[in-house]
Amino acid sequence: MSEPLLVLDNITKNYGAIHALRGISFSIARGEVVALLGDNGAGKSTLVKIIAGGLEPTSGRMLFEGKEFLAKSPAEAKAAGIETVYQDLSLCTNVDVVANFFMGREITRKVLGVPVLDERAMEAVVARALANAGTRIPSLRTKVEHLSGGQRQAIELNRFVHWGGKLVLLDEPFAALGVEQTRRGLDMIRQVASQGIGVVIITHIMQQAFQVADRIVVIRQGVVAGDVARNKTSPDAVINMITGETLAGAGPAG
Amino acid sequence: MSPRTRRILELVLDNLVWFMLVFVLAVFSAFIPNFFQLGIFANIVEASSVLGVMSIGLALVIIAGHMDLSVESVAALSAMAVGIMFCSSGIGLGLQLHPNWLMVPVSLAIALGVGAIIGVINGVLIVKVRMSAFIITLASYIWVRGLVLVVSGGRSAQDLAPAIRWFGIQRLAGLPLTAWIAIGCFVVFSLILAKTPFGRHLVMIGGNETATFRAGIRVNRNLVIAFVLAGAIAGLAGWLLAIRTSGATANLGVGLLFNAFAAVVIGGVSLKGGVGTLPGVYAGVLLLSAINTAINLMGLPANFTQVIHGLLVLAAVLLDAFKQTIRQKLA
Repeated sequence: MSEPLLVLDNITKNYGAIHALRGISFSIARGEVVALLGDNGAGKSTLVKIIAGGLEPTSGRMLFEGKEFLAKSPAEAKAAGIETVYQDLSLCTNVDVVANFFMGREITRKVLGVPVLDERAMEAVVARALANAGTRIPSLRTKVEHLSGGQRQAIELNRFVHWGGKLVLLDEPFAALGVEQTRRGLDMIRQVASQGIGVVIITHIMQQAFQVADRIVVIRQGVVAGDVARNKTSPDAVINMITGETLAGAGPAG
Repeated sequence: MSPRTRRILELVLDNLVWFMLVFVLAVFSAFIPNFFQLGIFANIVEASSVLGVMSIGLALVIIAGHMDLSVESVAALSAMAVGIMFCSSGIGLGLQLHPNWLMVPVSLAIALGVGAIIGVINGVLIVKVRMSAFIITLASYIWVRGLVLVVSGGRSAQDLAPAIRWFGIQRLAGLPLTAWIAIGCFVVFSLILAKTPFGRHLVMIGGNETATFRAGIRVNRNLVIAFVLAGAIAGLAGWLLAIRTSGATANLGVGLLFNAFAAVVIGGVSLKGGVGTLPGVYAGVLLLSAINTAINLMGLPANFTQVIHGLLVLAAVLLDAFKQTIRQKLA
């Protein structure tokens, strides 16, 4: 196998006396989908925030494309090619669909040397991206506060599919989606991975993990409690890892 | 509801304050003798220039989800700085520059600079210390006004240099240049807010700061710029105020802050952030100014003004809540 896309080496995170992460090590290859599982409070979201630049680890190091990597802000992670979809949606409901899609990456043209938003170009891009994904939203100029939960999540998902990058982190992306939309979302993930993009998806739903992931990583009490290929394990075995009855392939503890 | 009626309704809701302004002007014209004349309308625009400029800066930071209570004191300090340097009587030093017109850019730069410095202090403290903008700028509101008293010793400066006063006297199409400066500011900042990435980012920061941070927008930098702009714009308001009064007194502009808040809220800016446009704010400013003018014309005691302004703010807030319910029904 080629060199991994992202390597986590003994990442820890303390909040005062509380050890949220006690030494996480695993790696993600290009085009691989890794499902990150674990009970509530196991440290999954903390880990995602560290990779995405929202939090700094207490110790440990990361290699991204073989180079030492530590994002100090989401902007740095984004510049390196890491896209994140958070559990609590990252949309500004007071602006329209187009503005959200292009948040922080607006297309501009110069008027008298001043950058001016090119609304028409942006709207065309968004219309194409949503059409490709089969998402229907009545008007792209509708403010997001007037859209349903499912439509909002669809915007987030389409946004990451469109911008792609090299690594995508998804923190419970399907929480508000219906059955059909979830299926489409899972298809999107496979499609993104087939372009050589690494995907980390946090989920609570075992069935989803087995549907989409190549590899399953289980975190329990801040350490890796299991790291197995999907086709070499079963939902029951994974549940045992999550609840702590077995420690198959456990990472370093403490 | 057909899409057409829906669109018309949205348009009315978005520009409600303009309809209110037209309505109020029409009512005043019909019922108040001598109201309906060009000079009165010009007077409404003219009288609103200082308040208008100040409201722009205030609106910018409120739209970005924060607050700046210091704009009134900042305007007073800028006016006092200009007054002390370029006034010839009172505590004025009567500084002369040659050629005379040079006093205009120099005084303007001083006014803007004073405002920008206080804006930097406000912005950096709010972003770095992560304290509420309300508290930080309340402190500035107090200490900056204190500074005005300190530098003036409680006395006033009179007789501003004629080269600077020229802006308040010279008229273009019936309006003094100071009014045109205010109108120009509204046009420029409306365009910035609506059409540039910076403006778009401010609106989005006001809507959901976390989301914009995660999207890689440099939130802190944008917020500091917004506070610097608010300060500098307040400085410009102070410059206009000094021209208007041909000098500066220690209690110059007291009470303007609340009028600015009223104008911003009436103009449709939500104090929760993320909602509002600058043309709306200008309509709010004109509305307040029109009511003041009407009170003057009717010969009511000026003390009524404040009561009416207060009720108007209350009405604006209630109207905002009402608009929200209508919008929810529309969606």
